[in-house]
Amino acid sequence: MKLSPILPRVFAAAALFVSISSCSENLDSTGVCDVLCTQIGGAVQNITLDAVLVDTTVQALSGLGTEPGLLLASRGDTLDTRVVIRFDSLPATFVPTGDTAQPIASVDSAYIRLMLDTTTIKGTDPVTIEAYDVDTTANDTSSAAVLALFRPDRFISSQTFLRAQLTDTLKYFISNAAVLTRIQSGAALRVGLRAVSVGSSQLRFISTEGSFGPEMFFRATPDTLTAPLTVLPFSRTPVGEAIRAANLSDYTLIAKAPPPAPPSVLAVGGLPARRVYILFDIPSNIIDSATIIRATLLLNQLPNTGIDPTDTVAFLPQVVLAGKAVTDPAKAAQIIGAISVDTLRLRPGDAGPANVELASAIAIWRTVKPDTLSRAIVLKSVSEGNSPLELRFSSSEDVVAALRPRLRISFTSKVPLRLP
Amino acid sequence: MHKSLWAGIALFTVSFASRGGAQGALSLEGLGYPTGGLSARAEGTGGGVADFDALSTVSPASVAGVGSPALFLQYSPEFRRVTSPAGSATTTTARFPLVVGVLPIGESWTMALSSSTFLDRSSETSLSRVEVVGGPTDTVTVTEQNKVLGAIDDFRLALAWSTSPRFRIGVGGHAFAGSNRITFSQLFPDSTKFISSAQAGRISYAGFAASVGMEFRPSRVIGFAISGRKGGDLRAQSGDTAIGKGRLPDHYSGSVTFEGIPGVIVSARAAHDNWSSLNSLSSSGIQAFDGWDIGGGVEATGPRIMQRIVTVRAGARFRTLPFGFNGEKVSEKTFAAGLGVPLTRDRASLDIAIQRAARTAGSDVKERGFILSVGLRVSP
Repeated sequence: MKLSPILPRVFAAAALFVSISSCSENLDSTGVCDVLCTQIGGAVQNITLDAVLVDTTVQALSGLGTEPGLLLASRGDTLDTRVVIRFDSLPATFVPTGDTAQPIASVDSAYIRLMLDTTTIKGTDPVTIEAYDVDTTANDTSSAAVLALFRPDRFISSQTFLRAQLTDTLKYFISNAAVLTRIQSGAALRVGLRAVSVGSSQLRFISTEGSFGPEMFFRATPDTLTAPLTVLPFSRTPVGEAIRAANLSDYTLIAKAPPPAPPSVLAVGGLPARRVYILFDIPSNIIDSATIIRATLLLNQLPNTGIDPTDTVAFLPQVVLAGKAVTDPAKAAQIIGAISVDTLRLRPGDAGPANVELASAIAIWRTVKPDTLSRAIVLKSVSEGNSPLELRFSSSEDVVAALRPRLRISFTSKVPLRLP
Repeated sequence: MHKSLWAGIALFTVSFASRGGAQGALSLEGLGYPTGGLSARAEGTGGGVADFDALSTVSPASVAGVGSPALFLQYSPEFRRVTSPAGSATTTTARFPLVVGVLPIGESWTMALSSSTFLDRSSETSLSRVEVVGGPTDTVTVTEQNKVLGAIDDFRLALAWSTSPRFRIGVGGHAFAGSNRITFSQLFPDSTKFISSAQAGRISYAGFAASVGMEFRPSRVIGFAISGRKGGDLRAQSGDTAIGKGRLPDHYSGSVTFEGIPGVIVSARAAHDNWSSLNSLSSSGIQAFDGWDIGGGVEATGPRIMQRIVTVRAGARFRTLPFGFNGEKVSEKTFAAGLGVPLTRDRASLDIAIQRAARTAGSDVKERGFILSVGLRVSP
């Protein structure tokens, strides 16, 4: 037998090449799985549980002035909100260009710069914004005391804006004399803003908490070479409570709000802002023994035609992080953590089923025992405190059992990794 | 419905959920593919010389023929294509199926320690299906991914006795051990609505067997070899829990060689495995079949390359694979070619074999594969 000496060499070289190229495995046989593979996981089971142990509406107790926005609204008999901005620390001196510090003896071109959320503007008519001196020694958080100061003898100035002038940056000019008087007397300048319009008007400004809060500018000299002075909102009171004082440097004051939802109804949003607290009683054998792949809170939305019923409200479920020691739902509903970035959007005036996905909450509850973390969630409006819109849902007190909140759980069996 | 009743239903369904294998190839059904413990040389001859081959782990008697201490390592990647009416899949499986160390002890005795792949289950599959998750109209595609890595290996200690090339006898003790690392995932498309899950586990195997082999060469022209392995229990456990027990299959084989033509060895072999003893090691009822392994081939002195005489080989083999598909036996036909090259003045050798395997199970599913085996023997 006579073989060409080239053949074995080619064979060996090919073998070497193939050996090297086969070092990375590819075991994926998905292409033939329709025929050669069998289902391993069990079929998905869907069950609906009356698992709501507690459901209630609680106040969003984050505190006056903590909102990222300032709502200035004049909605007739429905809604009237004011904005208060505190300039408790005004400069007494300024430094002219090329000179030394001098006491401020004049004020010119004083204005408050307001950052306006133009996407939330309501109303097409011109709106007049009136400014009042709302400085008072009354209780800091007494809305009634402050509201009483929106009267003619406290009037500072006003400015009217056409709809086209409502751009994202508003210059609201206020009385130079009013500013100078406060500077020279060493008093605080607390400005209360009120919207007046022929029709309905609603504006939302960014607050200090929203990172682009109001700022006041004025010139202490007619010399334009000297830069204007800038004054940031600041509150000296409540004394000794720095955080609350910071919150009160600018805030929304509610003069009139839509009537609250009945106690037997769950309400999310509105003014003052509310949240829904729901505590579940989920059988531990479902959480522990099965693989939960979806959990949905089934709600029945009730129509709320009070204000802007066709506008959209975005809200999120958040998991309650309070331990079992916190038994008061109102307090527990303040200790929450985000579980989802996917908001649910509903219109207040609509009615019917509304589903809230709780997959992320289940994933957390699966890893923490109920003794440590209660199986509770909070439904919270994304624009909490900044919008009068309120969603309403049937509670567990609803006379129709089918309309009460329920929990639908979809799960598969935990697959024992067994022999083939 | 009352909550506790629902909970009961939930537990019931959890307990009786379906399960099964998902191997993705005819050759990977059940506990996996048996590589056979053949060296590249034996594979090149269709397995014909396996009972005489010291580097194959078939007969413990064969180690007596090695002559000098030797270390052998083999790499055998398989390039497989499976076709079905629904589609096809191309895979590459890298295997190191054989490591052998042989040590002559004195004039008559030889000891060998080896590790060979017994059943390789490495596979990865992905199966999608549509499920109703949530409301009656909420359908979603669930993707099940199942990845299994690992094999059951055969660790053998063999002792052979021989005082002449005419007769050799050997015994072997086998420890079968290994594991399958399993990762099972259920994936859903929208993480805001669904929770994907993943489970990981390991199934370990342990068992023992004993083997005996004998070679007899009544003349220079012809030789006979027979061997057998008696299997003991093979236990499977997951963690600390025993999940199955079967018997390692008994194995019998016989080879014959004819060397009447100068420079040529013609060989043939028949072997039988009682794979059905593994039937009890299945949770889904996959059936194992007893089967024959029949092959033969030719080994001939080839051309001289760089002062080395190259050995060329060719062979064919037919066998029944252990685990069936849809209740049918899976048969494998293999055609092989190979060569052997001595290196460094015969202190090392390189054996290469390429096998073309075709597997069928009486259905529309076809499986074709190339198995390239590269074995390096070194005698220090």
